Amino acid sequence: MRLPLRRLAIYGVAFLFAIVVNFFVPRLMPGSPVDGMIAQLGPRATPAAIEAIKARFGAVEQPLWEQFADYLKGLATLDLGVSVKYYPQTVVEVLGRSAGWTAFLVITAITFSLCIGTSLGALAAWRRGGRFDSFVSPFSIMMIAVPPVVIAVATLFTFGVALRWFPVGYAYNPNLDPGLSFTFFGSVFLHAIMPVLTLSPYLIGEFQTTMRTSMISVLGEDYVTMGRAKGLSETAVMFGYAARNAMLPVLTNLALMLGAVFGGSIVTEIVFNYPGLGLTLYTASVARDYPVIQGQLLLMTLATLGANLLVDLIYGIVDPRIGEART
Amino acid sequence: MNSGVKLLLRQKKAVIGLVIVVALCLMALFAPILAPNDPAARVGRSHQPPSISHVMGTTKMGRDVFSQFVWGARSSLAVGFATGIFITVLGTLIGLAGGYFGGRTDNILDLLTNAVLVIPNIPLLILLASFAGTVGPIAIMAIIALTSWPWGARMTRSQTLALRNREFVIAARMVGEPNWRIVFVEILPNLLPLIALNLVGSIIYAIVAQTTLEYLGFGDPLNVTWGTMLYNAQNSSAIIVGAWWDIAMPCAGIVLVGLGLSLLNFTFDEIANPQLRSGPALRRWLRLNRQRARELEAAR
Repeated sequence: MRLPLRRLAIYGVAFLFAIVVNFFVPRLMPGSPVDGMIAQLGPRATPAAIEAIKARFGAVEQPLWEQFADYLKGLATLDLGVSVKYYPQTVVEVLGRSAGWTAFLVITAITFSLCIGTSLGALAAWRRGGRFDSFVSPFSIMMIAVPPVVIAVATLFTFGVALRWFPVGYAYNPNLDPGLSFTFFGSVFLHAIMPVLTLSPYLIGEFQTTMRTSMISVLGEDYVTMGRAKGLSETAVMFGYAARNAMLPVLTNLALMLGAVFGGSIVTEIVFNYPGLGLTLYTASVARDYPVIQGQLLLMTLATLGANLLVDLIYGIVDPRIGEART
Repeated sequence: MNSGVKLLLRQKKAVIGLVIVVALCLMALFAPILAPNDPAARVGRSHQPPSISHVMGTTKMGRDVFSQFVWGARSSLAVGFATGIFITVLGTLIGLAGGYFGGRTDNILDLLTNAVLVIPNIPLLILLASFAGTVGPIAIMAIIALTSWPWGARMTRSQTLALRNREFVIAARMVGEPNWRIVFVEILPNLLPLIALNLVGSIIYAIVAQTTLEYLGFGDPLNVTWGTMLYNAQNSSAIIVGAWWDIAMPCAGIVLVGLGLSLLNFTFDEIANPQLRSGPALRRWLRLNRQRARELEAAR
């Protein structure tokens, strides 16, 4: 299984871009973020802490390229600096606490939406122009246009506050001890319902639209006609012949959308007070905890690149033509 | 262009979308007439439900939600549209340049496009916004535009690549037309449906991103927009105390713009990709097809 060099180059440039942004933005901004952070530390501002922050944000007498080299060295050893808000803790510790919850939320939402969105897209393309299509397809496009903030706030109000169906806030009941028990998993499940439902409409809309478009072009292929000519049932042709191949562009789209999904999860976690990366980012941005914000960008970029790489690999396995065509 | 407008008006969805968007723009334009009061003025008690004197109730600070809604449309729509245009121009230019010139230019631009495409936008926006502190509408515009042009650039590039070796372009090159003229006069008009699609999509994205940033508190709190209305509503815990009108109005505004624009987008998509069309003609064809199938079935 070989990956085209070009894809790797793209990921390399993207990661480099994130690093360069992280390194230069604080050094280019008017006013010094360092003073703000030292003020933020308050009584905890030991000389060592101040020194560490200064080195990281360029308030030291050192040529720029040496600072950059130091920065890269730090990254290579997974040293993302120390958090300003939770001072003695490092950024890696702070992010590590919350990354799992975000991964859980995002993966659940993607799986859920993938099932629903692709089915809706396949059905809409199958009966193109029918009543189902002319209702579902514009509705999907509309779903893409609604910001997650709006859906989150509306869901929270309707199901959390007015109807009181689901708990508002946290990932599980804080009175429970995390452990391998049914009550704990039940609690986690119950707390995840609203955030997942908030993330889903956008994803379902995207998947439905992509699936419909790609399904329509696949339905024109000869092998679909062949399947019909063989007298296979409608469902066999739809799922066994057409939908399988129409899934490929959906996969590509999924990898590209991951950045947007992270954006959605940030907002969702803030609204539902869900202890994931988004909430950490929000508290960090309120506290002007720059190291955490930077670590966040790197982590999310890495996650997106990883997912893209994974999709590239899967793509090559699912569609053998691609491996040859791309090189 | 005239035929394009006609094509648009023949679609029911596009007309509905256009009506919604135009109505909201008119509301924003005539804000001083519709809501003569200062949206930041305290006019009543805190969190009053909708009544005759305050059609949409009041906020925690006792400000009139209706006035804020009308005036907020101004900033939200203006920033959304301006950013959308900015994104489209940037994306189209980069896509055109890469697709037309090819070679090393294309290699570099395509690499850049794909790289910016995979970087998660919102975390990047938050990073930039938090280092810049509280940012005004112009800065928000610039930040959003600089991080979100690649979608359009990619679409434009692939379309330009397809057009580059068509006969009329080759003919123009043979005649000795300068490059800029070939790009802007020969190729660009063929990309119009795509650019329209890109523009509407970018405006939608810009409004979503702007709302998100402002909701997170990066906007200028003194500037009334739908995003800052949501931010203020969140901060005054309007949801928990049940003041639904405080959040429902900005939400309704954003959803309406989204609805109108996406209906338009759906139509542009069908114009740009005729394969996707599902208008009355296709429905008639499907009906006839079914009818014929039934007749064949009956005859057997």
